[in-house]
Amino acid sequence: MEREKVLELKQVIGKKLNRPMLYYLDLCTRCGLCYDTCHVYQGIPKKEYSPVGRAEVVRRVFRKYFKPAGKFFPWWGDAHEFDENLMEELREAAFSCTGCRRCTMFCPFGIDMPYILGIAKELLIAYGNAPEELVMLADSAVEKGKSIDMFKEGFRGVIKDLEQEVQKLIGASSSDGLIPMDKKGANILFVGLSGAHSIIYPAAIFNAAKEDWTLSYFEAVNFGYFAGDSEKSNFIANRIINEAKALGVKEIVIVECGTAYRIPKFLMGPLPFKVSSIVEVIYRYIKEGRIKIKQGIVSEPVTWHDPCQLGRNGGIYEQPREILQIMANDYREMNPNCEYNWCCGGGGGLVALDNEEFRIKSGKPKKEQIEKSGATMVVTACENCHLQLSTISQGYNMGVKVESLTKLVGENLII
Amino acid sequence: MLGYLSYFILIPMVYIAFATLIFGLIYKFYIIWKAPAPAGTGAIFPKKGSKVSGLIYDAMLVPMAYTKQKGFWFIIMFFHIAFFFLFLGHLELIADFKFIQIIPHRIFLGGGLVGIILMLATLYFLFRRFGTPYREISIPEDFVILLVLFFCILFGSILHLAERYSDWGAVLRVDANVYRNWLQSLIWFKPQLSYTITELSHFTILVLHVLFANIFLMMFPFSKMIHSVFTFLAHYRKRN
Ligand code: SF4
Ligand code: SF4
Repeated sequence: MEREKVLELKQVIGKKLNRPMLYYLDLCTRCGLCYDTCHVYQGIPKKEYSPVGRAEVVRRVFRKYFKPAGKFFPWWGDAHEFDENLMEELREAAFSCTGCRRCTMFCPFGIDMPYILGIAKELLIAYGNAPEELVMLADSAVEKGKSIDMFKEGFRGVIKDLEQEVQKLIGASSSDGLIPMDKKGANILFVGLSGAHSIIYPAAIFNAAKEDWTLSYFEAVNFGYFAGDSEKSNFIANRIINEAKALGVKEIVIVECGTAYRIPKFLMGPLPFKVSSIVEVIYRYIKEGRIKIKQGIVSEPVTWHDPCQLGRNGGIYEQPREILQIMANDYREMNPNCEYNWCCGGGGGLVALDNEEFRIKSGKPKKEQIEKSGATMVVTACENCHLQLSTISQGYNMGVKVESLTKLVGENLII
Repeated sequence: MLGYLSYFILIPMVYIAFATLIFGLIYKFYIIWKAPAPAGTGAIFPKKGSKVSGLIYDAMLVPMAYTKQKGFWFIIMFFHIAFFFLFLGHLELIADFKFIQIIPHRIFLGGGLVGIILMLATLYFLFRRFGTPYREISIPEDFVILLVLFFCILFGSILHLAERYSDWGAVLRVDANVYRNWLQSLIWFKPQLSYTITELSHFTILVLHVLFANIFLMMFPFSKMIHSVFTFLAHYRKRN
């Protein structure tokens, strides 16, 4: 690799060396306890897909350029310089990881593997080797953020159509104002996704609860984060944060998307408003008696899939279970569940990539869990998980139905 | 020549080793402190226990290792507890500490068992690395550290066990004061190697023990052994 490129890549690593990164890079004892905790390794048992195997690829270049021993005695720490093969290894390591942090939980030191792989992703962007799909989606989200005024009119038109769908769901006399926008001082700014379903059902729920809310112009999903581009990721997250600040809302509520929830909730530092997931808000409405849902409406055996970013990385375990158990006659738990739950294999933006065969293989532990539970319906609250669970169901001919919690609630409101 | 080498290992190298350890640790913490702090947290849920008690629990008792591999957990616990006793034993080689003598004993708690546990655990860690999948993820540093540690404990144990249990020890019974004079002279920066040390029949073993201990201390801040201090930082982030 040319010297200039190496220097540029070295700088990329240097920029990522913040406090946690420094100790995460030094901490690993290579005890191997995390080795088989990754669903990808379970599906494709290769060292490259073990958590420590992935992180070691990053450590090899880190040692080479940032450790005297790596410079002078590379054999000591298996240090390696940048080359084509190494960049390929980095790509394989980074873009086969869903960022579920199951390995982090099992590591005796709590090493955050996706955090380390953040270096790999940033290196791949600088090298021009990051997945094009994610880069393009991130770019278009940034573009939308820069010129939102151009999009506003068209978006309002689309929303007008969706209001009629909401009207049908809640039996309102008029569709006018069922999806408010630009409402200053509202309690809630709701951030959806590009699909109509991500707005219709929450809108029905907000209206049923007589909430003072407003809809965001932006999608919650953060492709900058998935691509590993810190700058774009921050820009995309800040579009929503700035919108919330400008409107003066008290709370932002994030649609069923795990990462979109985790970013403002845990990764952006203190914010002047509350950040909640739509799941928490539905739970709150039920507890406060603001909405009622039909009991026992789901008769087939049903189970709950914990999206990693809501559960292990978000602490939302009980609320969706309680909501689902109201609607289900035959609720079953997967084993293991909650913090030990297996990732479905769709997170980290992987569902947006052309890798279906890989995802079916890496979804093996999830498939086995679902089968063991005996459920014929899996409910979840993350768009990525939803897509991936459907892929698993089809890929293994399981015939399992996949449902969104918000949709189930939205369809079964007692008005 | 050997005399000079032994002198170097027992006096200047000990200073070099401790200086490397102390300044190395300070340096490692300094670069972390100097580095930018990220905006968010790295929490994993549920966060059992309070921030402090949970952090200590996670870092000292490594419950996840217990969940994952119970046998391995027992060995790492024995290893680390034995290491702690070893530390106390070496403190007593420097001076009397009443808190260590709560249970009256001859210097070096455990009557040699501590060293044996450590050796066995170190050998286990070493041979574990030859099996799949641990071999695939091991790097030369992992083997070298374990070998250095093994030899350090081996020579230390020979010194202790021979002195305590063998005829050789009975004849050449070594008073702890012999070591104490040398170690205290080092602490007060008036280093001296008296003939009571250099004339020991097992002087060579002492030199080898100290040599490996010096290497171990020098490697500590710059190798994965730093996990013993950094683990608290990582667990803190996980609970923050
Ligand atoms: S469990 Fe943690 S310390 Fe052990 S190999 Fe995995 S990342 Fe490294
Ligand atoms: S974060 Fe999840 S996908 Fe990534 S290495 Fe760890 S267990 Fe595997």
